[in-house]
Amino acid sequence: MYLIGEFHEKEAVRAAIRTLREGGIPPTDIDLFSEEPVEFPRRVLDRSSRMSLASVLGAIAFGALATAFIYWTQHNYQLNTGGMPTFSFWATGVITFEMTMLGAIVATFAWFLWESGLARKRDHTAPVPEVDPGAICLRVRCSEEDAPQAIAAIRRAGGETR
Amino acid sequence: MVPAPELLPYEKIREDLFRPLSGVSRSYLVATFCLFVIGATGFVAWSYQLRRGMGVTGLQRPVYWGIYIVDFVFWIGISHAGTLISAILRLTDAAWRKPVTRAAEAITVFALMIGGMFPIIHLGRAWLFFWLIPYPNPRLLWPNFRSPLLWDLTAIVTYLTGSAIYLYLPLIPDMAQLAEHNPTWRRGVYRALSLGWTGSDRQWLALEHAMKLMSCLILAVAVSVHTVVAWDFAMAIAPMWHSTIFGPYFVTGAIFSGIAALIAVMAALRKILHLEAYLTPHHFNNLAKLLLLMSLLWLYFTFAENLTVWYGNEPKEMAVFTARTRAHYAPYFWIMVVLNFVIPFVLLGIRRLRTIRNSTIAAACVLAGMWLERFIIVVPTLANPRLPAAARFYAPTWVEIAITAATFAAMAMLYMIFSKLFPIIAVWEFKPHPPEED
Repeated sequence: MYLIGEFHEKEAVRAAIRTLREGGIPPTDIDLFSEEPVEFPRRVLDRSSRMSLASVLGAIAFGALATAFIYWTQHNYQLNTGGMPTFSFWATGVITFEMTMLGAIVATFAWFLWESGLARKRDHTAPVPEVDPGAICLRVRCSEEDAPQAIAAIRRAGGETR
Repeated sequence: MVPAPELLPYEKIREDLFRPLSGVSRSYLVATFCLFVIGATGFVAWSYQLRRGMGVTGLQRPVYWGIYIVDFVFWIGISHAGTLISAILRLTDAAWRKPVTRAAEAITVFALMIGGMFPIIHLGRAWLFFWLIPYPNPRLLWPNFRSPLLWDLTAIVTYLTGSAIYLYLPLIPDMAQLAEHNPTWRRGVYRALSLGWTGSDRQWLALEHAMKLMSCLILAVAVSVHTVVAWDFAMAIAPMWHSTIFGPYFVTGAIFSGIAALIAVMAALRKILHLEAYLTPHHFNNLAKLLLLMSLLWLYFTFAENLTVWYGNEPKEMAVFTARTRAHYAPYFWIMVVLNFVIPFVLLGIRRLRTIRNSTIAAACVLAGMWLERFIIVVPTLANPRLPAAARFYAPTWVEIAITAATFAAMAMLYMIFSKLFPIIAVWEFKPHPPEED
């Protein structure tokens, strides 16, 4: 089941999260909703991200593919220009660079869509609260037995449960 | 005294920034219609050129590159407004950037769309432009990847893709809010474009990571794009083009004209959309100081570029140098110096004079001056080739002028439409919950 708590102070949300986590609820079962970004210090509600890795892998993949493609096309239809090499990395390095950056950009965007859940199938059983301007809503997934404890944690921190 | 926008209540900020999206005034319609007419005239001129061939332009041997290439370099330069300024300010976490970034990012996307059209217009046989794209074809040919023109294609495609994503990402939360608060037909469009954004902390975190990464990537791409544009010239062994400093010289000029475009656009938005509380003298003052800095840097590069040519006294280079500074093209050159250095230096260097109005005047001068700079770089070199007997003057025809005017109108029209569809300032960036120390 899901519980929703509404807060107007960031410190109150932090206190509620701390109590919930001490009560055994993992960070993966806690979600915050707000109309603007909310940042907490480390170890409050840490989320891991592999976006940088995805970006680097995208860059390597596109860069390598572009270089291989250029190498192949230059040999497939050879242009002999005054004894110059058929394939020269320096003369085509700009294209390799641009394709490398394109790979990083596309991978970053794709990973953003994945990591933010925008490109994934939504769990329709999880309610999305309507957030008032300036408010922060806390959504907790917990079992029936843990619910009273979670409600108490939210209320003790100054939140209202929905 | 107008309070700092960060101190305004959230509802007030949202109302102020969403207000320009609703309703269309009569003056807006008239202005859009006028711009459409100018744009349509350019389209007619281009279709005339397509039917009659490139002979209707002023391009003749040996001047094969005229104001189409000038426009191309100019618009690619303007596109650096956004991404460079926005990315640098975002990475350095400059608090004053918030009302500025989206206006700048939109300039980038539109300027690139317009600039990217010019190589196609310049081709003559525009319908064959896809031959630049590498794909298996019955001719069994591949494009020459060693050509700077193909470098251009890849650089612009990468930059346009990156800039469009860079503009779109921070728009997502605003579009989600617009979908919630907009009762008109646009609700469905906003909802679709916001991709189901709910404002969860995972989404905010992903957005923050993505924006930081994109800022780093787009900076590198922006610098490379204008360097590649500079290499279109510098890789040719032509007098006053074959220069090692052309890359940084072009990048500097691009940032310079980009900041000028941003100031001009911000001044117009402030006036038309009544955003005085958000685009304050503080923002203009900071951008004016940046413009002044870039003006000095531009002067340094221009001086270094011309001094080495003059000192070297190589006859072919001196022919171009003389044409630029003392002969046929001298009025353009000296007007360029006045517009790009003298006027900005006086208006922005003296603190008392650095007002919003004067900053806008200086920015308009820089825009005109930078267009002239591109003309001074492109035309005199081709008009004074290594064979002196082939020297010839170039003057654009009405077709080229109409197409050029149309691009300026298209830029203004795209911007006006954008500002009616999307908030020109990111609403969600204004009221973050203050971060805490670890």
